[in-house]
Amino acid sequence: METAATYPYAANRKTKVQVENLTKCYGDLLVLDKINFEIYQGELLCIVGPTGCGKTTFLNCLSQFIPMTEGSILVDGVPASPEIHNIAFVFQEVSAIPWLTVEDNIRFGLRIKRLPEAEIELRTERMLDLVGLRKYRTYYPQQLSASMEQRVVIARNFAINPDLLLMDEPYGQLDVKLRYYLEDELIRIWKELGSTVAFITHNIEEAIYLAERILILSPKPSTIKEEVIVDLPRPRQYDDPEFVRLREYVTERIKWW
Amino acid sequence: MIGRLGKRLMPAALTTGSLLAFVAFWQVVSLYTNPDFLPSPGRVWDEAVRLFHTPVGGKDILAHVGFSLRRVLTAYLWATVLGLPLGLCMGWNRTCEKIVSPIFELLRPIPPIAWIPIAILWLGVAEGSKVFICFVGSFVILVLNSYTGMRYVDPLLIDAARSFGASRRQQFFNVAVPACLPSIFAGLQNALSMAWMCVLAAELVGAREGVGFIIIQGMDLNRPPMILVGMILIGIVGSLLAASLRWAERALCPWRRELV
Repeated sequence: METAATYPYAANRKTKVQVENLTKCYGDLLVLDKINFEIYQGELLCIVGPTGCGKTTFLNCLSQFIPMTEGSILVDGVPASPEIHNIAFVFQEVSAIPWLTVEDNIRFGLRIKRLPEAEIELRTERMLDLVGLRKYRTYYPQQLSASMEQRVVIARNFAINPDLLLMDEPYGQLDVKLRYYLEDELIRIWKELGSTVAFITHNIEEAIYLAERILILSPKPSTIKEEVIVDLPRPRQYDDPEFVRLREYVTERIKWW
Repeated sequence: MIGRLGKRLMPAALTTGSLLAFVAFWQVVSLYTNPDFLPSPGRVWDEAVRLFHTPVGGKDILAHVGFSLRRVLTAYLWATVLGLPLGLCMGWNRTCEKIVSPIFELLRPIPPIAWIPIAILWLGVAEGSKVFICFVGSFVILVLNSYTGMRYVDPLLIDAARSFGASRRQQFFNVAVPACLPSIFAGLQNALSMAWMCVLAAELVGAREGVGFIIIQGMDLNRPPMILVGMILIGIVGSLLAASLRWAERALCPWRRELV
């Protein structure tokens, strides 16, 4: 896009994921229209857009659940592929495996990837500490609350050290208080592990609270309408005038009427 | 303290109470009816004790139960070995479903008892035909349960595995199969009950041993208490079989313990 001089945000950052001309049609319906952007190593990126703008399609293409019609996704300069890369996905609905205990849920992805047993144990212990679920390690998901279940899922996804962690409104179904708590937790884990996270939400406040950078999607056919860099100190305050100004700005930009 | 203890004893007390009430009701009714029509619990008990000591048809009563059980378990084992994988395959693989389900839908409504004549024709009146009837009954249930279980696996869980790059094989064995364990277990239980019901039907038609034989023998000898002993034995063995499978389910599906 722009050079480092005019675009200081990208200075000293390494491109992790490069999306070029991402296009998706369902028959005649054009959903995603030549989307271009990059995600930098260790970045916490939020993607917001009006309802029905194809956010889910967008994520499904990124995670390669569905084939894209055109375009390419490069991770570290190589076309993204499940065999080489770790692209993790936290769904909107809680996807903890009901027959596995908390610790086995965290091991689940590591076992699928056939990591050495010693490494699996090391990472599991670390994640149990990071999400503070050590006490509940032998519990089954049914014995936990929805927010704790979602934390198990988040731990399970961070455990594989993903090249890219995609999160599809993971806190959409939780009440405000728990959401604040989990957002702080997410920031903490992200800082601690230095993971690259793309977080999709329709909640603008949430996006500004979390993101280093926000991509605003336009209504269908979606393109990237604008990029907003959120350069506020953490922990961010919802009533900070700058926070409020950004929120109003993004809200204004997201409107399509 | 008394409250908590009471809560724990309550279910057991209710169970015993309802059984006792049933026997008492039976006793009362039998007082006012012809004993050849409905023998009293006492007479049935005496008959049971007698049967434990005197062989019927050359074998004692436990041997008869053993004969029936052996038929049931042989058939059940075959039905499980063949039916479970078939049902899981049908639920997992569209091609497999398309090939098998038309035939299966056609054979499914035929009750196991309707197979008796042809089974005797094919396999004779000996063990083969009886085992076959039980097999048909439990096989259909096992296929259906594992098939529907597989169809209703939460796609989200499969997607979660896919997002970790799980192969089709891993998706099947690490996610789909454990996810349908509860319905597989429901199938295993129903299939066992069905096999147990079928063995009696098969034995009623022609057998020289088995629990069904005791009932027929009681009818032929005009001994109503003997018929009832046979029936009660069927009930007891049937519920013990079901209980043992429930116990196995609790041991194998610990995450469902809270729900059951």
